Amino acid sequence: MATSECDVVNEVICAPANVNELFEFPTIFTIGGLEFSRTHILMLLAAFVTVAILYYGLRGQRLVPTKFGAAVEGMVDFVKDGIARDVIGPEGTKYVPYLMAMFFFLLVGNLFEITPLINFPITSRMAIPAFLALTTYVIFMFLGFAKNNFRYLIDTAWPKTVPIGLRWLVGLIEVFSIFILRPITLAVRLFANMVAGHLMLTLLLTSGLIFVAAIPEIGVKGTIGVFWFGLGLFMFLLEILIGVLQAYIFTLLTAIYIESSIHFEH
Amino acid sequence: MQLLTALAVLATEEGAESGGGLSLILPPTSELIAGIIAFLIVFWFVGRRAMPMINRTLEARQQAITGQLSEAEEAKREAESLLADYRAQLADAKTEGNRIIEEARASGEQLKADIVARAEEEAASTLAKARDEAQSEKSRALAEARREVGEISVGLAERIVGGSLDGKMQQDLIDRYLADLEKL
Repeated sequence: MATSECDVVNEVICAPANVNELFEFPTIFTIGGLEFSRTHILMLLAAFVTVAILYYGLRGQRLVPTKFGAAVEGMVDFVKDGIARDVIGPEGTKYVPYLMAMFFFLLVGNLFEITPLINFPITSRMAIPAFLALTTYVIFMFLGFAKNNFRYLIDTAWPKTVPIGLRWLVGLIEVFSIFILRPITLAVRLFANMVAGHLMLTLLLTSGLIFVAAIPEIGVKGTIGVFWFGLGLFMFLLEILIGVLQAYIFTLLTAIYIESSIHFEH
Repeated sequence: MQLLTALAVLATEEGAESGGGLSLILPPTSELIAGIIAFLIVFWFVGRRAMPMINRTLEARQQAITGQLSEAEEAKREAESLLADYRAQLADAKTEGNRIIEEARASGEQLKADIVARAEEEAASTLAKARDEAQSEKSRALAEARREVGEISVGLAERIVGGSLDGKMQQDLIDRYLADLEKL
């Protein structure tokens, strides 16, 4: 991470000038006025890593898969059967490529957070969550109107199964939540989780190390760094779980939204 | 203390840079482009390569399983027909064995009957021959005896006749003798 002018010798800790500096890297090159940095390269790297994992996991018509192949196949089946078929039903087959690409890409992107030498979740940049949430929004909006015409909007705003007195209120909440909140919550949930995780890890691990390194200067107080570092290691393990979970939740919610547009009944 | 100043500086800078938090949320165009390209690479690969790979593997696995099942079915059928064959052969062999035993018994009995019959026949013929021989011996002995008795009686009669044999006495003697001979 980049630090502003900071006298490393005299100061115990060099605070970044802005919290964004944990997430923004210096520009490496510029194309047509757009600045490209380590983040952009990591995004493309995530794509290639995802492709490589899928390629090496699935290549060949192995009757008995290798250990790695079995693991990839397990995840593929998990998305194909556990998410697409179980949530959406038989029509879910059509959406398997989208869900599968989403799950694996997010998984790799999230786990970049704890990958040594990378240590940066590309999903903590809004671009990817926003793009995927928007794509999901377009898909389930399109399906909702294509399958139900304007009943999709009307029946949502005026749900006939709800008692008349509450109908306007429930309708308002439903319209607000489906047509406006869904894409925002979908994107922000993933983004915020990864930002928080990255912040926690950076804070705990680096401050822990800094405190430990400063023991000769500040004495016993520096031992608190050991605790910070230990906590950071625990968070490290927790972030693996969170990375997998967030990829799963994003994909699962996408499937649920698609399903709710296909089988729209009110 | 230095840490606190640093934090204070950080806070003021955040405040000064309007929407420091918002800039974290709104994606820069360049990152959007990179993110979209990255996702499209993955999406293209999944749609064009990974899905066919998955389907091919599934198909191959299905075929292998179906093939193995039909092979097993075939083997089972073969084994069953083989078993039926063996059973039939075994049954045949048993029948054959029984037939042979039956035949042997029949021929044995036949042989026994033949031997007994021949023995009886032989015994009968031996008996008959013996009886015939005895008969002929007897008649031969009788004829001999009659001849000898005749001679002896003639000799005796001559001797008696040569002595005191009157006519009437001689005649009685001869008659009695002949009558006795007749009785033999």
